[in-house]
Amino acid sequence: MSFDWNEDDEDFFAGASFKPRTIEEDFAIPDDFANLGGAAIIPQDVVEETPFQQLIRHWMNERHAPDILPAQEMLLGRLLDHIRKQTDDVQLLRADPDSSEEEHFRITLVQTEIERVKFVIRSYIRTRLHKVEKFARHISATPELHDRLSKAELDHAKRYARLEETHYTSAVLQGLPPDQQSLDDNIAFMPPMVTAPSKTRAVFAHARQDCPPVRLPDGSTLEMTKGQISLTPYHVVEQLLAREEVELV
Amino acid sequence: MALPPSLRLSVTPPELELIACEQLIEIIPLVAMERTAFISGAFGPLRPPAKCKVPIWMATNLKLKKKCHIVPPDWLNVDFLQDRLTHETSQPEFSQLPFRFAEVAKVLLDVASDDFENPERLRSLLKDIQEARQAKSREGLSKIDHSELSLPNLCSMEINEIRPVFIKAMGVLSQLVREPEGRLPT
Repeated sequence: MSFDWNEDDEDFFAGASFKPRTIEEDFAIPDDFANLGGAAIIPQDVVEETPFQQLIRHWMNERHAPDILPAQEMLLGRLLDHIRKQTDDVQLLRADPDSSEEEHFRITLVQTEIERVKFVIRSYIRTRLHKVEKFARHISATPELHDRLSKAELDHAKRYARLEETHYTSAVLQGLPPDQQSLDDNIAFMPPMVTAPSKTRAVFAHARQDCPPVRLPDGSTLEMTKGQISLTPYHVVEQLLAREEVELV
Repeated sequence: MALPPSLRLSVTPPELELIACEQLIEIIPLVAMERTAFISGAFGPLRPPAKCKVPIWMATNLKLKKKCHIVPPDWLNVDFLQDRLTHETSQPEFSQLPFRFAEVAKVLLDVASDDFENPERLRSLLKDIQEARQAKSREGLSKIDHSELSLPNLCSMEINEIRPVFIKAMGVLSQLVREPEGRLPT
């Protein structure tokens, strides 16, 4: 994984202190309460999300989407790097016997935040791992999905699929007649043997901006306006989600 | 397993609370603190008695150590909620409330009830609003079809509550609609 820190960032993390960031980095956190009226339509790029808020959004998308979504490797890398640096600073300051009481209480706050971020990262990765294992054979048989997985996830999916097949073969299948030994039969009126994500499962989509029209299963079109929440099958909003125009809630 | 079965279909209320606690809220600090860099940005400096905006998780952390007072958000007061309740019980549609109002209200009333004028009244109003809205979302189940259901002004906690049933219902309806075509394999 590569991290593209610019020099300002390096400066900022160099000293063992929680110095404030430069203005450019000090992202304003979108304040939900400010939009209470619902009338103010703010273009998406004005309300900038912090990396952690982006991760929370991807975490929720991943939790709600039936399919596996593209891995957010850059974002994870940035946050992990940030956690590492904050942790190092905490340890340095802890070791310093001269630090004041105020310093101690800042350390506690910083540590609390580190734990919150770690929790979300862990849950995000576990959600993906769950999908990787559940769809292991589908993933290793579908090259189009490989771009969505990180290298470690893809390796794991392939190994897991192989393990599963070897196990089935040695435990049961080798004792069956040859025409019943395969693991990927597609028999009419029977569920397929390879577990694939069900894209017809409904999801709650929340429009982050005005969205272009999409086709609904009943033939009509749906044009979501900013802030609209709709319950609709996953395949309807799949493209909107890929372009980050909607989020799942 | 990577993800416990209870977490596979939906998120849990504590997870929603964690997300809601990233929002900012005003506090009146009782201790001073320099401007400090956090992963989600820099907060502070805290200079009592000047008001300052910090994330809710930080506000609750400080509040539990009796190091700040929390300034209630605009919508978390008896007048506003009374107005919403009237609206909720007299109009057929959902009234407008902040998307994560249930989580925020719960967290704040749990740790900082002494910063509110009438916490008991607030709790009972919130409960009434939630019940009125719950009744409406249950009615919404009758409008569900296989393609789309728009849910204006529904809040995160309410979506989470209706999620399992609504997703299942829509799944069954799509199967019913799809069946006639699928029955003619060539």
